[in-house]
Amino acid sequence: MMLVDELGPSMRRVARMYVSSDAVTDEVVQEAWLGVVKGLDGFEGRASLRTWIFRILVNTAKTRGQRESRSVPFAALAGDDLDQPTFDPTAFGAPGDPNAGAWSTLPFDWRGMPEERAEGTETLHVIGGAIAMLPPMQAEVIRLRDVLGWSSDEVCNALDLTETNQRVLLHRARTKVRGALEEHFRSVSEA
Amino acid sequence: MSVDASISCQEVVELLSAYLDGELDPTTLERVEAHLAGCDGCTMVLEEFRETIRLSGGLTVEQVDETQRRTLLEAFRDWRAGS
Ligand SMILES: [Zn+2]
Repeated sequence: MMLVDELGPSMRRVARMYVSSDAVTDEVVQEAWLGVVKGLDGFEGRASLRTWIFRILVNTAKTRGQRESRSVPFAALAGDDLDQPTFDPTAFGAPGDPNAGAWSTLPFDWRGMPEERAEGTETLHVIGGAIAMLPPMQAEVIRLRDVLGWSSDEVCNALDLTETNQRVLLHRARTKVRGALEEHFRSVSEA
Repeated sequence: MSVDASISCQEVVELLSAYLDGELDPTTLERVEAHLAGCDGCTMVLEEFRETIRLSGGLTVEQVDETQRRTLLEAFRDWRAGS
């Protein structure tokens, strides 16, 4: 079944955020699919099918996590740096300076990279590696939004996030991936 | 650089995702656009954000998972080498 292949890896990762082990994760995913099959008649098509499947999954995983008495603080999933600036503050004029908040050190300009370099496998590894380092919820939001191309509505619904949280998580994720690309292109241009 | 003083570069860069996704309210949108029109640095970062999103779209989920698996393996190897 194509949908299972397509959604499977994301579903496992999302379920894993809420429960204690890989074994329980497998059970949760199976239980969620069972719920999907049972509920399919009642699916009204107001949400997209994949969003609806994720809602069932997230609810199943959360219920199971509660039963395991495993409460996962939001910060553990989303990252504990959400109220910090995403860009290095030292790149800007310090508060009180005449140029406060304006660029004092511009980031490396990698816009003119030759296409074969920008779009090579190495670049994809840099992006994949940067995503792998993100806190789990940031990683999942950027995967669904920018890798798979889901809309922000779909992602909010699927992962049970407020619009604001989704936006903050996505922005942090994109900023870190952009930063990783900057580092990468800087080092290859110096080599 | 003639930059709209009502919003700083440091504030603008925090709004670029929302800007690209069309999620800014009209007042903020106007201030961001006015700032971008006069600021090369923020315009550069905006274009790099756009490129980052475009390049991410070229990734398959399998590649993300494969990279993640390799990162984990490498971390594991380093850990074993270090112990
Ligand atoms: Zn600026």
